[in-house]
Amino acid sequence: MRVHNRIAYAFLAPYLLIFATFWLWPIISSFLISFQNTRVNPWRFAPSMNWGRLVGDPAFYNALYNTLIILVIQVPVMIALATVMAVFLNSPLLKARPLYRFAFFVPVVVGEVAYAAVFRLMFSADFGIINKIIGTVGISPVSWFDNGTAAMALLIMAVTWRWAGYNAIIILAGLQSIPGDVYEAATLDRVGKVQQFFHITLPLLKPIILFCIVLSVIGTMQLFAEPFLITNRGGPGGATETLGLLLYRQGFTSLNFGYASAIAYTIAALAVAISLLNLFFGRETK
Amino acid sequence: MAGLALTNVIKRFGALQVVHGANLDIEDGEFVVFVGPSGCGKSTLLRMIAGLEDVSGGEIAIAGNVVNDVEPSERHIAMVFQSYALYPHMTVRKNLSFGLTMNGNPKADTQRRVAHAADILQINELMDRRPGQLSGGQRQRVAIGRAIVREPQVFLFDEPLSNLDAELRVQMRVEISKLHKQLGTTMIYVTHDQTEAMTLADKIVVLRTGRIEQVGAPLDLYDDPANQFVAGFIGSPKMNFLKATIHAVGQEGVTAALIADPSVRLTLPISSRPDIGSPVILGIRPEHFSDAGTGEADLTVAVHVAEHLGHTSYVYAGVSGEPLIIERPESRHAGDQKTLTVGLPAKRCFLFDAEGERLR
Amino acid sequence: MRSKSRSLLMRRLALHAALTPLAIIWLFPLWMMFVFSTMSDYGIFSPDIVLWPSTQFIENFQNLQADTDFLRAMFISITVAVIYTILSVMLTSMAGWALARYRFAGRSVVIAIILGTITLPFAVVVIPQFIMVAREFRLANTWVALIVPPLFNSLGVLFMRQAFSMMPSELFDAARVEGVKEWRIFLHIALPLARPTMAALSIILFLASWNNYLWPLLINSRPGMMTAPVALGTLIGLTKVSWGGIMAGAVLLTAPILFVFIFLQRHFISGITAGAVK
Repeated sequence: MRVHNRIAYAFLAPYLLIFATFWLWPIISSFLISFQNTRVNPWRFAPSMNWGRLVGDPAFYNALYNTLIILVIQVPVMIALATVMAVFLNSPLLKARPLYRFAFFVPVVVGEVAYAAVFRLMFSADFGIINKIIGTVGISPVSWFDNGTAAMALLIMAVTWRWAGYNAIIILAGLQSIPGDVYEAATLDRVGKVQQFFHITLPLLKPIILFCIVLSVIGTMQLFAEPFLITNRGGPGGATETLGLLLYRQGFTSLNFGYASAIAYTIAALAVAISLLNLFFGRETK
Repeated sequence: MAGLALTNVIKRFGALQVVHGANLDIEDGEFVVFVGPSGCGKSTLLRMIAGLEDVSGGEIAIAGNVVNDVEPSERHIAMVFQSYALYPHMTVRKNLSFGLTMNGNPKADTQRRVAHAADILQINELMDRRPGQLSGGQRQRVAIGRAIVREPQVFLFDEPLSNLDAELRVQMRVEISKLHKQLGTTMIYVTHDQTEAMTLADKIVVLRTGRIEQVGAPLDLYDDPANQFVAGFIGSPKMNFLKATIHAVGQEGVTAALIADPSVRLTLPISSRPDIGSPVILGIRPEHFSDAGTGEADLTVAVHVAEHLGHTSYVYAGVSGEPLIIERPESRHAGDQKTLTVGLPAKRCFLFDAEGERLR
Repeated sequence: MRSKSRSLLMRRLALHAALTPLAIIWLFPLWMMFVFSTMSDYGIFSPDIVLWPSTQFIENFQNLQADTDFLRAMFISITVAVIYTILSVMLTSMAGWALARYRFAGRSVVIAIILGTITLPFAVVVIPQFIMVAREFRLANTWVALIVPPLFNSLGVLFMRQAFSMMPSELFDAARVEGVKEWRIFLHIALPLARPTMAALSIILFLASWNNYLWPLLINSRPGMMTAPVALGTLIGLTKVSWGGIMAGAVLLTAPILFVFIFLQRHFISGITAGAVK
């Protein structure tokens, strides 16, 4: 290859302009704003104001706690479910494969608002179809939106429904990239199907699964639309308020940009830290 | 048409230098083959001539003009690539005409050139197909056709036959040779296959690790290699190399004794004067062993295995652990015995010093 | 042999017995979305379990249109998604081409910055983006605000770069030797060959734009400039609102993309999995 500075930048320039303006600069800017007092006009440099508030803010700890709860429960459940889906979809014994694939993958295309709306309606305490159905087997109605634990469970179920298929698609692609002769060799060595899964499939899938976990962690850290729409602005009483929602309330309801930026950076830092931790442990045992 | 001149051409990739000052003159109309093992810099050299790689030092001149900073398209060259590099989404006709069309060549002239190239290569029936529908040999023809259409002053071929099967390779080799006779244009051809080099070239350039080892006509390289590398690279099966020491230096030449069998001594009529006792390599091609008693010395070897090809036989043998290949034409019983004694004709043997340089 | 085929049958049965209920649960919300959209509000809030569609879709849609100008919002969403997709594919394929096929000063820096920031959550830029677009550029409630800022997405750059660097470089060298200009090599050789990749990328980008919620919610909140998800979102949680209407809106939001999904599933899947290939 010859060196082509001018031509290369001619091709790059339009994208780089947008990238720098709407991504790179805001990343830096966000950091700077978090050190500003944005409640006065003009803004003043006040390095400890927002970060100081963050450290002592019970609302922040509540949102952080909720987010971590979702992270610790929802992500593993979803990834396990997605792996099961992918492995089953990959089984040569399966009939009507396109139908199952459609069922599991289709939530991927459903928008947040559309599915939030239908979940809200399905789980409505008095008239929701879910309470009606569990009523037929004698379970008393659950007040999904008034009970903090139930609301959290609902949120976890909704997010799992929406994203399990997405992860299953990725894991299935990983499964299909494992050469079949590995399994044939194992079968000839009289290794059972279940052992094959744990000793061949899982280790070979590990990088893909880690990738899915990292994606899910990043998604969970900024979870916003679901608690905003399904559990009604993080209700009841903040029981499902996430960091994403807190950022929205501080930034766009209270218009406290400085504090919201500090929250934003906390979200980013946590996402990066947890991702790195994941990758680190993933590599360790390799 | 044009000749080429490379003067001290150097190529660096970062800190890594891959061509170390190549000097070469190519006459107008000559068929030159760059040959060498992979990584010897032959393709890099060709790509620098094409203008696809920057020249890190020295000069490349085409028809007397230095082209270091000239765009590939302005160098009046055409190139045929190893993978053919046909545009998969265009028909053969479009593949041939694409470059001319993009450069605003008049339509009628483009059509004339395409038709002419199709005639030369006999690909008229293929013109409306896509590359995916062609066989390897047909793709190769189209790739060459695309070069012909440009009516270049120099054709560049980058291992054009290495993706073909053995039979097709021979066939295309002959065709390229015919094409050169027909067009009379300068051609530079890169290959790692010494047979291709021997059969196609007016002039062979042997390269190793970025250095030109020897330049010459095919038979000159065969008869008179400059060093052990060229001696080993040209010829098939390759030349045998046996360790030896200088036993005596006298009027008639230099006498060397084999280390594997010190009783085998051979005097070569050469004028250089190496030190007595210094280590050397004695080289002799498999086809140059003579019958026992007819050479200047006899060598007895242990037979490992023999391959009979009908018209000739190859005996794989060893002498004190040093491997040898001996060709015995018209002799189907050469490998029947446990040992074989052959003659060493002195004028067919070469001596190389410890650095691999030829002792003359 | 007999025992082998029998255990195979058992395994097959067990597989379907496990998978079928899961599939039904997974399809249930979508099915109910459709069923609700055809029921009157009276029906929705009756104590009966209704699992079969009724006939009220048109009435529900009329209610929705009365609650919020949903047709206008759909028009905005479609237009934005189409323009965004075209622009983003153009920009990112040009950038991907440069990064895949040229050596130039600063190349590794550009790649490092893109790769290093791609996993950062959008949350980290949303505040400054909003301040810049709404306050400094004064572009709130405009088409530009909906379309241009999200173009920063670098997924396409990596996606296209990958596609271009898989192509044999001799193809482009051949054109270069023939004197074809670089932009024409890009246009006439590289892009046509990258068509499958561009198709997959287009679908993913269209989906992302169509379903985008947070940014349009922040920047275009004025009635008449809202996208369809934002318009529908404003109704959720209101007390005097037609739920049948909301469900009709949800169906309208989902149906077009659902059809695309059914017919172009392969491209969808390759778009989603592209991020996973390293």
